Amino acid sequence: MADHNVEELAPTPGERTSRFFKRTDVRQTTLFFILWTTLFVVLGLVFYPRWMPTIMSVEMKSAESIMIWFTVISAPVAASVLAVATTAFMNRHRGDTPPPDGPAIRTNGPVVAVWTITSLLFALVAIVWGLTEMNAQAVAAGKDAKSAIVVEVTGSQWVWTFNYPAQGIETHELNLPVGVPVTFNVKSADVNHSFWPVQLGVKIDANAQVTTVIHSLPNKVGPIDVKCAELCGLYHAYMETTGEIQSASDFDAWVVAQGGHKA
Amino acid sequence: MSTLDKTHTSSRPVPNPKRSLITRLHMGTGVVVGVIFAALVYYALKSSLLTYADGVAEPLSPHDNNIVLLGAMFAWSIGFMVGIGAFIGPWRWMIGKDLTDEEILYLAGDGQGIKRYFKYCTDHKVVGIQYLVGVMTLLGVGGTMAMMIRTNLARPGGHFITATVYNSLVGLHGITMIIAMIIVATGPFGNYIMPIMIGAYDMAFPRLNALSWWVLFTAIPVLCSAWFLGGIPTGWTAYAPLSIQAGPGMNAFLATIIIFAVSTAVAGANITTTVIAMRTKGMKWNRVPIFVIGSTISVALAIPAFPTFMVSMIMTALDRTYNTGFFDANMGGSGWLYSNLFWIMGHPEVYVILIPGVAALMEIVPVFVRKPLFSYTAAVMGFAGIAGLSILVWAHHMYMAGWAPSLNGPFMVTTEMISIPTGLLFLVLIGTMWRGKPWMKLPMLSVFAFLWDFMIGGITGIYLSDVPADSYLHGSMFVTAHFHFTLMGAALTGAIGGLAYWYPKMTGRMLHERAGYISFWMTQIGFNVLFFGMFMAGAEGQPRRVMDYAAFFRNSNLVSTIGAYTVGMGMIILLWAVIHSWTKGKIAPMNPWGAKTLEWTVPYPVPLTNFDELPVITSDPYGYGKGK
Repeated sequence: MADHNVEELAPTPGERTSRFFKRTDVRQTTLFFILWTTLFVVLGLVFYPRWMPTIMSVEMKSAESIMIWFTVISAPVAASVLAVATTAFMNRHRGDTPPPDGPAIRTNGPVVAVWTITSLLFALVAIVWGLTEMNAQAVAAGKDAKSAIVVEVTGSQWVWTFNYPAQGIETHELNLPVGVPVTFNVKSADVNHSFWPVQLGVKIDANAQVTTVIHSLPNKVGPIDVKCAELCGLYHAYMETTGEIQSASDFDAWVVAQGGHKA
Repeated sequence: MSTLDKTHTSSRPVPNPKRSLITRLHMGTGVVVGVIFAALVYYALKSSLLTYADGVAEPLSPHDNNIVLLGAMFAWSIGFMVGIGAFIGPWRWMIGKDLTDEEILYLAGDGQGIKRYFKYCTDHKVVGIQYLVGVMTLLGVGGTMAMMIRTNLARPGGHFITATVYNSLVGLHGITMIIAMIIVATGPFGNYIMPIMIGAYDMAFPRLNALSWWVLFTAIPVLCSAWFLGGIPTGWTAYAPLSIQAGPGMNAFLATIIIFAVSTAVAGANITTTVIAMRTKGMKWNRVPIFVIGSTISVALAIPAFPTFMVSMIMTALDRTYNTGFFDANMGGSGWLYSNLFWIMGHPEVYVILIPGVAALMEIVPVFVRKPLFSYTAAVMGFAGIAGLSILVWAHHMYMAGWAPSLNGPFMVTTEMISIPTGLLFLVLIGTMWRGKPWMKLPMLSVFAFLWDFMIGGITGIYLSDVPADSYLHGSMFVTAHFHFTLMGAALTGAIGGLAYWYPKMTGRMLHERAGYISFWMTQIGFNVLFFGMFMAGAEGQPRRVMDYAAFFRNSNLVSTIGAYTVGMGMIILLWAVIHSWTKGKIAPMNPWGAKTLEWTVPYPVPLTNFDELPVITSDPYGYGKGK
């Protein structure tokens, strides 16, 4: 009788937790959780740096870190969904008759609460991260405004034209000095285009009659591509050009070769 | 659970309202009258706009040509509706009468066999099948265009098709798929299954139901006419001022959207009214099957969203015909105005597409796991939260437009908040699966595919919603891959799950299982390969909607094209399975899955009024499970 009474005592939270983790399905789920988390972390850490072009500006660095780190942060959330699904898949039922009824769990308050709070926190991290980066870029742009080199960019079907007012040159290739902040004033001669110096990681639409502005701080020497990221008609695909982020002396030499003068 | 448990055989005589005009009208007369109307309006407008110099007609200006074409297109749509008899009822009302009882019964189409599918038939089950065939046709056409796009992109420098054709393919693939996906679940299942699910005799407005389908039907030839008018250069977003500059094919696009918006408004009003007013006795809001909740929230979201689409198209049409300059900056208008109007529709619209697909899967999981739906409240909150937030996020499509940069922050906040109700949807699905043994039938497979695809779509969506990352990714192939994961991987997978699940009730036969499995694995694997390649191309820096690319992107594009062909073959197998099983499949029992919702309590063919006597509901349909 004594033994019987002992068994009827409610288990302590510690005992309940240890029983919970001894259940086969819970162990399976835990295993899959670890596997999926690892997979997503690896995907984020490996694929994006391999795929994305050379980082040549502060803004590009910021874009790439968001893609990598948001993947890593979201890995456990994604993994918990996929782990439960994988466990269910492993315990699947085959045949032409339905499986036996499972436990009648209609809801579970704490689980719903924890899940909601977790996704709220996750959303907050993403929001705060994004706002902080945006703010940092805006502050930097404001601070650099005076020292920035200005490029007037005009999109027209299907050519990019770059005018450097201070240097007095107009070209179709985008060369910039390294380490000098740049302000692009972008407009369109006809329909909408989107100015995308790929390796600088920034982008802004070119609109008729309005000038849009975007800033960047190139920090690495090398070739860059300029593309149009807004469908602009027949030869949208070919509305691209190249350019180079150059050392100050190379840039000055290029400006002079183009018929301009040092700013 | 339902108290209804009787079989029913239809024994009513076929109504025969002699000499009524209604019995003589059908799709054929609709086409004839439509073509006559279009031709009359075309020649009337053309002759009134022609100018003569020395007795010789001058060619019409582009603006006047647009007036003539748009007039003819709308005339076709109205003429078709006249010819099929859609206005007989309203006409009778105007002269103070209504259809006779016999005519009303005749319109319901009972006992008229296959002919009723080609008539102005008010039976919600006929409309459901019409939508199903329509959706499959649109998906087939849109899919074929996708194959041609991917064929051209298989290698760099590919000139399988010309630039004009390529751009038209991109735009028409987009709009065809968007139209198909908006109606993919609420069309067939919302019309056929939903009234039975809530225990109603029919939809609230049966004639509007027929109207919504046939109006949509008239949009299809109009959309196709874009090909014969030189195509569209703008993509499905039809951004101004490119859309104003575009050739005559653009008119077909504008007319299609305007006609389609009428159809969705009518269908939306009908579905919401039906669900609000016609639930059977005892079906309180917390006992309504979750698919019904999801579809209702989806169409309720469409009702305020689509009118702005229609308005933006009407304004574009005015710019193109009377030079009103709404969207032309050179005339004091604004292209940003267009973008805003478009995306105020455009972002709710993706959730209009997504929600019914998820809701269909939520209907499926409890049945195949034999467990109650986990947290019905969370599911409803999830749908409602998404719907509510989705009307406040539109400008995340315009972060890089240069329009109101100071609003990028607030729009980023609302966009990322959507991950919270979306998380609830995941929780409901996995909570229902937890500790269950899923029955591996076709509908259940879709649930697993959905979880993976929507997870990828969701995570990539988080980067895109973050402004500094979007400044790199916007307008690239990465975006294309992201929204295909959500719209195709999630919403279409959900709808295909729904098709496999409700096929026995809609056709009386089981879907071919082996073909279904083969198709499932081919489409899912192909799909993931296809858009993995596209994520890669986008991250590498390839813009979207380009007909050609640098050799640098050759591997990622080749991967995509291989995946696309696999998806294409998988879809052809699915199409074969659907067509084959419709006539030759195994006869389905009344309730093959052992589900507890009301549609499984009625036999096939479903009687005209669904139920002899309306059932009384005493609990929700998820009373599975032992214990508790």
